[in-house]
Amino acid sequence: MKFAIALYSAAHAPSSRRALRFAEAALAGGHEIVRLFFYQDGVHSASSNIVTPQDEQDLAQQWSTFVSNNQLDGVVCIAAALRRGVLNNDEAARYQRPAVNLQAPWELSGLGQLHDAIQSADRLICFGGP
Amino acid sequence: MSTLHVLSHSPFSDTRLDSCLRILGRGDALLLCGDAVYALQQQSSTLEDKTVFALEEDLQARNIECPQWAVAIDYPAFVDLSIQYDKVNSWL
Amino acid sequence: MPKSLLIISRQSPWSGINAKEALDIVLAGGAFDLPIGLLFMDDGVFQLVPEQKAAAVQQKNLTANLQALSLFGVEDLFACGHSLSVRGISPAGLAVDDVEPLSAEDIRTLIDRYDQVITL
Repeated sequence: MKFAIALYSAAHAPSSRRALRFAEAALAGGHEIVRLFFYQDGVHSASSNIVTPQDEQDLAQQWSTFVSNNQLDGVVCIAAALRRGVLNNDEAARYQRPAVNLQAPWELSGLGQLHDAIQSADRLICFGGP
Repeated sequence: MSTLHVLSHSPFSDTRLDSCLRILGRGDALLLCGDAVYALQQQSSTLEDKTVFALEEDLQARNIECPQWAVAIDYPAFVDLSIQYDKVNSWL
Repeated sequence: MPKSLLIISRQSPWSGINAKEALDIVLAGGAFDLPIGLLFMDDGVFQLVPEQKAAAVQQKNLTANLQALSLFGVEDLFACGHSLSVRGISPAGLAVDDVEPLSAEDIRTLIDRYDQVITL
């Protein structure tokens, strides 16, 4: 089964963790994740500048590791990311901003990537809210 | 066609569950996760005649016992449900 | 056959950028000629109220974008009749043309008809 997983909440939201646990279970069950698409506040779940207290879960780090280790296609919506100050090298340079907080394995791209994922997946699963 | 409706807001402070129940089809099911599992605490539940799943970890975290008419599930079962139903509608 | 997608938009146009970002998914899908439907439900029906003054709160007017949906090939527009009725909104004078009010039963059928659903 091919899954497209869309996340709409920041790393500190329980739904971000839930999405990650679902994604792990999907791969463990032998399924394929055609793309992870982070939209709205989900762009914060991809931020590389989150500092979590040591005794708490670092979800953004866990997401990044999960995507890298499984060589997944992790796409962050560029319009949603710019609006929320989640910038990679290119965008920070383009808009002359002092900080970069989006790095590999994440890629910035447009909403077309969400539609493309929906077209190639058997199921779209969205996570967001609390 | 069947839909698995996924909710994560508390029904005591949010209207998503009400809206969802209004359009819930006969073959559809509810999956309660996060604060939505508090729906199982409601005194006169409107859910008893529905197909209801609840995420086990969220029940445990909140010290809620799963009633007989609902089914507690883990993540592998969540994945299976998302395949078993034709589509998943998360009320974000 | 491309897969069809139903967006259920539940937020008022003034509750932040939620309504706009839901609409952006619809517009992007329309731009790719994908079969997209848009259902306004709960506070989402407030997006359909005519004569709203976005400038009063220094916002952009979402209504203009909604009215342009047909230019993007998005013509399947629906509103939850119950949501309209409890908010005292008449389906007759909506800001957007050709929005079809639906009963709960109709909405059930509508969701069945689409391949995937996103509720925002």
